[in-house]
Amino acid sequence: MSDAINIGSVDDIDEGEAKVIPAEENGTGEDIAVFHAEDGNFYALDDTCTHETASLADGWIEGAEVECPVHSARFCLKTGEALCMPATIAARTHKVEVRDGDVLLYPNVPAEA
Amino acid sequence: MSLNSVTIVGGGMAGFTVAKELRSRGFEGALTIVDPAGLPYDRPPLSKDYLLGKRGAGDIQFAPAAWFEDHKVGVVTGTATALRPDEGAVVLADGTELVADRIVLATGGHARRLPIPGGDLESVVELRTREDADRLRSLLVPGVRLAIVGAGLIGAEVASSALAFGAEVVLIDPVDPPLVPAVGPELARRLHDMHSEHGIKVVTGVPTAIAADGAGHRIQMGEHGSIDADVVLVGIGIVPETALAESAGLDIDNGILVDESQRTSHPNVYAAGDSARTRMADGTLLRRAEHWEHAMFTGKTAAAALLGQDLPVHGASWFWSDRHGVHVEGVGSMAAEGTTIIREDGGKPAIALRVDPQGYLVGCAAIDGGLAVRAARRIIDRRILVDRDKLADPSIDLKKLAR
Repeated sequence: MSDAINIGSVDDIDEGEAKVIPAEENGTGEDIAVFHAEDGNFYALDDTCTHETASLADGWIEGAEVECPVHSARFCLKTGEALCMPATIAARTHKVEVRDGDVLLYPNVPAEA
Repeated sequence: MSLNSVTIVGGGMAGFTVAKELRSRGFEGALTIVDPAGLPYDRPPLSKDYLLGKRGAGDIQFAPAAWFEDHKVGVVTGTATALRPDEGAVVLADGTELVADRIVLATGGHARRLPIPGGDLESVVELRTREDADRLRSLLVPGVRLAIVGAGLIGAEVASSALAFGAEVVLIDPVDPPLVPAVGPELARRLHDMHSEHGIKVVTGVPTAIAADGAGHRIQMGEHGSIDADVVLVGIGIVPETALAESAGLDIDNGILVDESQRTSHPNVYAAGDSARTRMADGTLLRRAEHWEHAMFTGKTAAAALLGQDLPVHGASWFWSDRHGVHVEGVGSMAAEGTTIIREDGGKPAIALRVDPQGYLVGCAAIDGGLAVRAARRIIDRRILVDRDKLADPSIDLKKLAR
């Protein structure tokens, strides 16, 4: 299991917003978006939409879903499942934990469904 | 009767969506897509990344080959030439007959040709299929003179893409600026002006004839002289592909007529996407839509109807376009009765909001304003009454108004 990255305080990401942890910081080779969903929880997906090049962190975050800001593909923040066209491929999830008020990202560790 | 098998004619957005949606809704019967191009692919990239060579044929497929195997969706590469609706039979050009309980026609359309002398020249290029894009790409060599007739979405996008090849581009449209019904006059002006800012020659006028002499083309512009070009591309919309339905005796009127469940005049046959046109229960004909999202929505509706499930409810219509490095989106109607509120970015109109006389938002268009359009879409679909002053105040995030 890879080590967790402390990406900062829970207060750093407002609910309904997301923060990108760049590839060079997370070590996976891909940018990762950490979302603060409206259910209060934090989730992480690979930031690049599986359809075309777009940052999901810039997308519309609602409920436990994110909608791509370019072509409106929607993904489940919990499972990464592609919920509608044009995406048909799931986004990769990464485990996120909140501990002592800090958000911990586990790159390459899938979120528990 | 229980549904055991479905044949889908056409593997565009609508046809693929029907297959995908039938499976996700639990249909376990036989499912086959017939298309001359084989594995279904997405068309919007044809004028952009695919034309530019940034994405290949495999990259624009809706799903990889393994998806079709995993979901037991058969893909038959072939052309349907006849239907026998009573038997659920689709006959292919090679004589193969596919028989299923239900048939879905997702036949799309073909590019409309200019109804002028020379409009039917084989050398006049259109852009509807991957092969069309391959052909156009092969013609776009540095310095080539490209004349594009029609400055709607495809024309504008190809004009922008062609600059990357070093083409000299002339863009011809009868209207100045085009796209007013889609994005409103303010954004339409800004978008159309981008063409000349990027070195494209913009001509307002109507071609009256095209002649080819082997070396090139001459487009006659009536009393306004002529335009010489090596390559001519016509992007003036599509004609719905209704021949198959018509030969089978289905009701046709500028589209295959369907009810609100996408069922045609024959109970065994459904239609979705560009080729279908809705006839309401009272006989009213809706305008036939030719958008990517409409193809997806009607595909979903057809799938639900085939399975006897509740029909999905779709929100305000939405489209996008990419040209000259900007991303354009629109939702709802910018042509509906009402007034327009403009939000500017750097002194230029960036977001247009159409408000009806009752104060409800009915349309929104934006240049590089994806989140604004997503907010507007929710405000429209949820019938949220938003104060005009708040819509106009650029310091207020539209997202907050959609909550």
